[in-house]
Amino acid sequence: MSDAVDVDELRTWLEDGYASSVRTAYLILGNRPDAEDAVQESFLRAWKFRDSLVTGSSFKPWLYRVVVNTCNSKLRKEIPHRHRRRPDDDLDEVAEIDDRTAHIAVTNDVMTALKDLPAHLRIVIVLRYYADLNEHDIANVIGRQPGTVKSRLNEARRRLALHPALQSEAPSPINARKESQS
Amino acid sequence: MTTFDEEKLQRALRETADGFAISEGAVDLILDEARESPGSEKQTRIRSLVERTGRVRSSVMAAAACVVVLAVAVPLFNAEGPATAIKAPHVVHGAAAPYGALLPPSESSLQGLTATGLTVQGTVSNTSATTTKTVGKTGANASEASLVTSLRVEEVGTIQLTVRDQKFQTTLTQLTDFATTDGGFVASTQSHIDTKASHSFSTGTIVLQVPEHNFTMLVDQVRHAGFATSVVTSANDVTGQYVDLQARISALQVSRTQYLKIMSRTNSIGGILAVQEQLDSIQSQIEQYQAQLNLLNSETTYATLTVSLSESGHSVVAHKHPATGVDKAWHESLHGFAAGFEWLIRIAGPLLFALLVLAALLALGRLMWRATERRRSRLN
Repeated sequence: MSDAVDVDELRTWLEDGYASSVRTAYLILGNRPDAEDAVQESFLRAWKFRDSLVTGSSFKPWLYRVVVNTCNSKLRKEIPHRHRRRPDDDLDEVAEIDDRTAHIAVTNDVMTALKDLPAHLRIVIVLRYYADLNEHDIANVIGRQPGTVKSRLNEARRRLALHPALQSEAPSPINARKESQS
Repeated sequence: MTTFDEEKLQRALRETADGFAISEGAVDLILDEARESPGSEKQTRIRSLVERTGRVRSSVMAAAACVVVLAVAVPLFNAEGPATAIKAPHVVHGAAAPYGALLPPSESSLQGLTATGLTVQGTVSNTSATTTKTVGKTGANASEASLVTSLRVEEVGTIQLTVRDQKFQTTLTQLTDFATTDGGFVASTQSHIDTKASHSFSTGTIVLQVPEHNFTMLVDQVRHAGFATSVVTSANDVTGQYVDLQARISALQVSRTQYLKIMSRTNSIGGILAVQEQLDSIQSQIEQYQAQLNLLNSETTYATLTVSLSESGHSVVAHKHPATGVDKAWHESLHGFAAGFEWLIRIAGPLLFALLVLAALLALGRLMWRATERRRSRLN
């Protein structure tokens, strides 16, 4: 296979999975620059090691695994050691970049709640409820047993239910926005 | 337990993520990066993208198991080997290994506790060049000791005997005869004879000295004079110290000869006095070392045995041999219990060590496994 053909293959990957991957990374990492860096690095790595994809196995969990591992690496090594965070690294600031002001409140609440979750719980929540992976695929992505995934999902949902920003019965911005739309 | 509604969570996350505008040109940027990247060729060494097989963990566990087996086997093997050899010269509670079976198993300390006690302590000299006893080195130059042909070994031992009632005086006389017959002598005697009015028991101590080659025979004779409850002996190699003293004396004698030559050529009174002062000093040192050498020579020529005797007044005969099979079985049971307890204590050390090693290996294996996982994750 020539290089040109390989790059075309990468282009196909990007067209299919870049948007979902960068949004997943955004939900995990909480800011745009890190999310875009992580996804760029992930795609390049995945493409470089594309022969390691087992024939017949699903591409989507494989790619998510690369993305999640890269995000984990950033969470563990880069982000905690920054001396000064840039203003646009902050979750709230990132949310305000978007012009869709209707989403700002929702974004703030969800991202605040996600930010307060530990990374290992945040990842399973994002993979399950945004990337729409099942528990078995999530287990493959994070390298744990499905039982562990289930346990983490429950723990994450329990914590989110107790989070002040996402109180379901409270007049949170999410509920308020829905009511105004209806 | 309250958990967040799944549907609401899914909707909230999608709304949040959908609000994230995709940067224009990001895809092209990645494609350009891929084209320009020098390492754009395929690499297949990454393994973490496939299902884990647990080979690393299995290998670590297998290695840990091997090390644990070795850690358990080696101390146990050593405990059965060299430790026994080191203890060989020391005979405790009737186990007189270096001198043969001084005490038969039937005459153990359990029987002796009910009879009259007699303690024998001894010091033995051994000048034999062919001795193979394991001894503690106390000489200054152990390396020199290996060069000499004659070993100078000092041995110390203790034997406890029991004698029957009214046999105290007879035993003391008998021990004196043993020393004399074996070419030795009685160094000291101390005894307390009981009286019926005082209701006390006779006790005494006798110190015997015999030539080293008769020590084994003397110990055997003393053991048979009563009922031995314990025999303790130890050996001390003083060959190095002996050789060291001899070398110092020789060197000083050479110096003395040189000073005497110098003195014969000196004419001035001042010079004669100075040389005489040196000669006096050298002579003093020679005499000092010679005295130490003589002491060592004496200690390594004769063996000293100290015998302590006490009388309980109980019937010894009744306890010498168990009267019934039940009594004998009871004693054997006690012996078995003590032996089992000793065995437990003996293996406790190696087991504890093995457990510590196992714990350390498990911790190390876990660390290595986690490091491997992280490395894999980074590669992904």
